[in-house]
Amino acid sequence: MRLWKSFAVVVALMMIIAACGGSGGSGDTTTTSGDTGTTEDQGAGATSTTEDSGGSSGDKTTVRWFIGLGAGGQPEQEAAQREVVEQFNSSQDEIELVIEIVENDVAYETLATEIASGNAPDIIGPVGRDGSNEYAGLYLDIESYVADVDTSMWEEAAIENQRESDGTLVGLPFASYPSVLYYNRDLFDEAGLPYPPSEYGSDGTATYGEGTEWEGPWDYDKVTEIAQILSVDGNGVDATDPSFDRSTTVQWGFHWQWTTRIFQNGSYWGVGYPMADDGTADIPAVWEDEWNWWHGAIWDLGISPSQEQMDAVGDNVFQTGNLAMAATHLWYTCCIADPDNGITGDFWDLAALPANNGAVTANMHADTFRILASTEVPDEAFQVMYYLLTDAALPLLQAYGGAPADPSLTADYLAGLDERYPQGVNWQVALDGAGFADDPSHEAAVPGWGEYKVRLAELESAILSDPNLDVNAGIADLESDLTIIFEENAE
Amino acid sequence: MTIDTGEGAIDHPIAPTSPKALTSGLARARGRAGLWFVMPWIVGFLLWYAIPMVASLWFSFTDFDLVSNDPTEFIWFDNWRRLVTDPAVRQSAWVTIKFGALALPVAVLFPMALAYLLVTRSLKARETFRALFFMPSIIPFVAAVLIFGGIMNGQIGWVNKMLSVVGINGPSWFTNEFWVYPSLVFIGLWGVGNAMIIFIASMNSVPSSLYDAARIDGASEWQMFRHVTFPVITPIIFYNLVIALIGIFNYFLVPFVLNNGSGDPNGSTLFYALYFFRQGFQFFDMGYAATLAWALFIVAVAITGLLFWSAKYWVHYEFES
Repeated sequence: MRLWKSFAVVVALMMIIAACGGSGGSGDTTTTSGDTGTTEDQGAGATSTTEDSGGSSGDKTTVRWFIGLGAGGQPEQEAAQREVVEQFNSSQDEIELVIEIVENDVAYETLATEIASGNAPDIIGPVGRDGSNEYAGLYLDIESYVADVDTSMWEEAAIENQRESDGTLVGLPFASYPSVLYYNRDLFDEAGLPYPPSEYGSDGTATYGEGTEWEGPWDYDKVTEIAQILSVDGNGVDATDPSFDRSTTVQWGFHWQWTTRIFQNGSYWGVGYPMADDGTADIPAVWEDEWNWWHGAIWDLGISPSQEQMDAVGDNVFQTGNLAMAATHLWYTCCIADPDNGITGDFWDLAALPANNGAVTANMHADTFRILASTEVPDEAFQVMYYLLTDAALPLLQAYGGAPADPSLTADYLAGLDERYPQGVNWQVALDGAGFADDPSHEAAVPGWGEYKVRLAELESAILSDPNLDVNAGIADLESDLTIIFEENAE
Repeated sequence: MTIDTGEGAIDHPIAPTSPKALTSGLARARGRAGLWFVMPWIVGFLLWYAIPMVASLWFSFTDFDLVSNDPTEFIWFDNWRRLVTDPAVRQSAWVTIKFGALALPVAVLFPMALAYLLVTRSLKARETFRALFFMPSIIPFVAAVLIFGGIMNGQIGWVNKMLSVVGINGPSWFTNEFWVYPSLVFIGLWGVGNAMIIFIASMNSVPSSLYDAARIDGASEWQMFRHVTFPVITPIIFYNLVIALIGIFNYFLVPFVLNNGSGDPNGSTLFYALYFFRQGFQFFDMGYAATLAWALFIVAVAITGLLFWSAKYWVHYEFES
């Protein structure tokens, strides 16, 4: 009997020690600034004890800000975020803002685990539609808080765009990342080709090489044509030559730079929604066209890198200087220059995206911050969120490479980018791309968002890895599987 | 236990004696003391193994979802029914079986062959070779996998560059559905050092008198291995077989690091453990993931049990005494 008593005492002691050693949070009894994630803000550094409500730490209320679902996880962005936190904490003595920066690869699992264990952060972001879809229904409705603050700096439509399908207002505008074509000026000069068009026409279409032998509509046929000239193999032969050997390519003409997810690049050819009214999967025909084109671009023409080639040179292909054109978002400005490794990133400029079937689609990513409904300090969380969206918006946007939702910040924002990329980048064409944003968004929610993405990733992988893939057969299988996913996850 | 000190045998103070002695007060006190010593392990086992296992068994009967607003409900055997009808389970199990059929013999025979070479008396610098073959085992496997990803890259990898020197156009090792399994097995050879060391120890423990007798009888080198070495080391072969089998059931790290868990190419590396990970940590469907984990546990226990049953027919423990 005494033995069991001793055992019980030991177990109790162990559990008390374990409980005391657990990570803090809004709802816990002890909180350490930034005690979760791969990196943390050690500025405050102190361990603080909570009082009555979950988030109070001594005289200050702790608000936890979770970063990593979208932008913010890159090392070069951390410093800007830390500075924002320090400035906020020193600007007042009511709230202690604590950041958790988690690598994007594990951010979703980390946040899900925190939510399930009752240790959820108060604010997440910046996060776009994709990241938001993963946690649909878990966000705080901020309608009542918004009524008490100035929102005149944002377009009403931009605010309305933050509502969920049930009308709940879950965010306020922060950043938009229009798509644009990045091109390598050096490679065009070397090939003696005119640069891609620097502006959109009134209907979005543009002309390539006006007044030259290359003149023609700026569309994906033209991209294919010049990308073949710009793709070169190990023997210096370009892809217009029958002797071109795609297995030894050292320079590519075109690539979906970090937009290889097939619902992303499909949408560049035209908007669509992958689910029909009856709940079955129905891949937009224009996406199917693009997927077939892309597979051919990799395996038949050799103008775009395969998975194996990306594995060889790294997936940041444009940064290598061996890619002529890359369609991606404005956030990609984050990752071209790498001063630590001697990459100044001064070889590029921006241009208009090509049209398809006479129309341009410039996919849009829009990020914001969101408050989780589980927060025990909603007033303070909203105060922090509003600070991030207003006072801290500019330094954060410059770190993330996002165009401000507040038009009054645009000039300062562009000045910051010019400082980083002094070669005289044509930023206006990127901003103009917002006029051709995809609606519905390529990231519009579907039932079973996570499974949907994984299933699409399988076809993406096959496109990138299988030269013999029958893309249309793959699409038929995809639709069949997606219908099951939609049915199983329908509410 | 009796120890001969040279001055006559004495009873060792901790030697177990009669059942009656075991129930004496002194024995009980010693038992309690022993229990205190193992208490950290017992507490750790309960907190980090037993309780989570019971919890996961419970989860397998629920619709527990990490990011759902809905309350978790007890759904009886729905997850288990889903497991039986889920085509991805069959596919991932088949992928695991195909890989296992190739990897299991290699995982046992290769270190055994290596060990046999390294115990050969005529081999110069045996210790150096042993150290060289064991050294890869101390390098973090994730780093090794990433390095192999580069070495075997179809475009720039050294393997294909060397093959091209002799006129062979090497395949795309990791993006070809046929070659990906041999490639994964090849990477696995990097970590055979541990098994090799155990085999070397076991081969060194074979009584030399058995070899002497075999030689006198005119046995060849192969016959000595087949009829002397092999029977003596069967317990070690059995041990390595069980370890390798369990490793194959849990095979995860290499395909996860190489392909980020995508199952590329075309699902051919979507191993069962990866599918479990996907359900649990990408779809956050913890109830179903727990079911997958328990199904794997049950199958692994059953096959391991079968191996243990078969041991009486081919594993020879009589040499160990």
